[in-house]
Amino acid sequence: MISHRSTTKTIILSTIIFLSFSFGNIAKAQDGKALFSQNCAACHAIDKRLTGPALLGVQDRWPDQKKLYSWIKNNQAFLKTGDAYANNLYNEFGKVPMNLFPNLTDAEIGAILKYIKDWKPAAAPTVGANTPAPEGDSTLLFGILTLILAIIAFTLMQVNSNLRKLSADKDGEAYPEPVPFWKNKAYIAFVTIVLFLVGGYFTTKGAIGLGRNKNYQPEQPIMYSHKVHAGINQVNCLYCHGGAQDSKHASIPSLNVCMNCHMAINEYKGPKFYTEEGAEVDGTAQIKKLYEYAGFTPGKPWDPSQAKPIEWVKIHNLPDHVYFNHSQHIKAGKVQCQTCHGEITNMDEVKQFADLSMGWCINCHRETKVQFKENGFYSIYEKYHEDLKNGKIDSAKGITVEKIGGTECQKCHY
Amino acid sequence: MTMKKLFIIALIVTVASIISCNDVQRKPSNVYIPDMAYSRAYETYADHSNLKDAGINYTNLPVPGTIARGEEFPFPLAKDAAGDTTNYFASKKIKGPVDSLSKSEYTETERLYLINCGICHGAKLDGNGPLYKGGEGPFAAKPATLVGDAKYEAMPEGQMFYSVMYGKNLMGSYASQLNRKQRWQIIKYIKLKQAEGKAPVAVANATAKN
Repeated sequence: MISHRSTTKTIILSTIIFLSFSFGNIAKAQDGKALFSQNCAACHAIDKRLTGPALLGVQDRWPDQKKLYSWIKNNQAFLKTGDAYANNLYNEFGKVPMNLFPNLTDAEIGAILKYIKDWKPAAAPTVGANTPAPEGDSTLLFGILTLILAIIAFTLMQVNSNLRKLSADKDGEAYPEPVPFWKNKAYIAFVTIVLFLVGGYFTTKGAIGLGRNKNYQPEQPIMYSHKVHAGINQVNCLYCHGGAQDSKHASIPSLNVCMNCHMAINEYKGPKFYTEEGAEVDGTAQIKKLYEYAGFTPGKPWDPSQAKPIEWVKIHNLPDHVYFNHSQHIKAGKVQCQTCHGEITNMDEVKQFADLSMGWCINCHRETKVQFKENGFYSIYEKYHEDLKNGKIDSAKGITVEKIGGTECQKCHY
Repeated sequence: MTMKKLFIIALIVTVASIISCNDVQRKPSNVYIPDMAYSRAYETYADHSNLKDAGINYTNLPVPGTIARGEEFPFPLAKDAAGDTTNYFASKKIKGPVDSLSKSEYTETERLYLINCGICHGAKLDGNGPLYKGGEGPFAAKPATLVGDAKYEAMPEGQMFYSVMYGKNLMGSYASQLNRKQRWQIIKYIKLKQAEGKAPVAVANATAKN
């Protein structure tokens, strides 16, 4: 029964491959690289175990080249010869059948094997281009300078008063004993006012800042760089945060989404990146952490039931008394993610970009024009559509979010 | 004497302020009226692990076999066990529910393709997306060349759906990112693109018709 099934399989597979070769572009030249990329690269890498074994040194592992060639051409037939090495290999890789290549000529296989033999690992990319520039915090410098100047001024005033007394003594004039500064009414008044202003400033600022988290940048369980993923590798935001177009939440991706790519990507070779404090991050170690959560060993089939969820720390939080819906903004409003989240593609560690205060929301709702035309979502605003047509509403100004009720209290608070 | 004392005090204040000044804000700020800020209800990212202890018997998943209103019927084949390919080959016979894409559906499906598939299979469906980049990118395996490779041009829709739903080799399952209809639509989109590669005029007519 089993052998019958696998014969059918073989026939189907070979038909597919035969078809693919008769209609597809047949490689004319003995271009090993092209042949490798076309036939082998989907499952094999040269230096990495993927669906199939790493192919570096494959000729050394097969002492009999004839056997290797017949294995490549038709592995299912070769397995039946009972070759121990081949059968072990087949079992080791979870009995995933290798495609059949009856149409590869010996010369083509030779070219592929030569390409594998001559292959050299690519040189490590030159890095250092994006070392974080030391940011000069001039506020602190100015603060210190002001303090020093204030101390100098204070000292000079004291010196001045002492000198005056000295010169008065010398001239024999009666000069009143200088009042010590802590009893001097002018000083006391001045210090009180300064304390009141400074204290008031910080109290107000602290009170306004209650519950606001601009620049909040928590440490995550894995040092995941958005810059590497969304910036350098151009993964779309919605690939991982697909919930943003369908639901209230942008949704933090589950492990299977990570593993879509990271089953094959198990080391980091890109430019160096750093934590916010400036410590260099070992990208490969971060991928290893992911594998620990996922319960995945590179080169072996992944069993998702072994995975433990990663407890990412949510950065953008709105208080419970505000309703916010991502899909409303992304899908209907067609707002770009970056409008509210900042240049995510440049952030190694994500920090909260906007303060998410009510003033910030309202301001955007007042200024932002909704895309009124060709947007089924707003078709019910018939009067506005008519006014736009008649020219009663300046089409250059357009319809702001405020005009369609975007600043009504109960839109967000209910 | 007073000068010296003052100077020391100033120095201590300055040093203390420098030390306490950490640019990186790792902790969230305090909130005013916490019971209005933090949800009493169980929100999406709240800790759900202790629901049972609180006497709440709630399961996040619908009953197996549930079909939402308007949703496509489920794919009739289960995932093959490791090393087995029976259902993978059986899937060839399954026909998709999507026969054509209207203009707006086509645009939307193209958008979904570019987000979810284009990253590996390429915006031109040539198996050379930004993650592979002809072998330069981080993804080690070559993604399938969807347009231009006779194997994939001949692959029936059902088998493509099987691969998208359960994953194949190094491709993972996209069942969590795309719903059934979107998956079938994307496969239709690929088929349309493949046909376009062969006869550009015919598809232009087909899409215009809708």
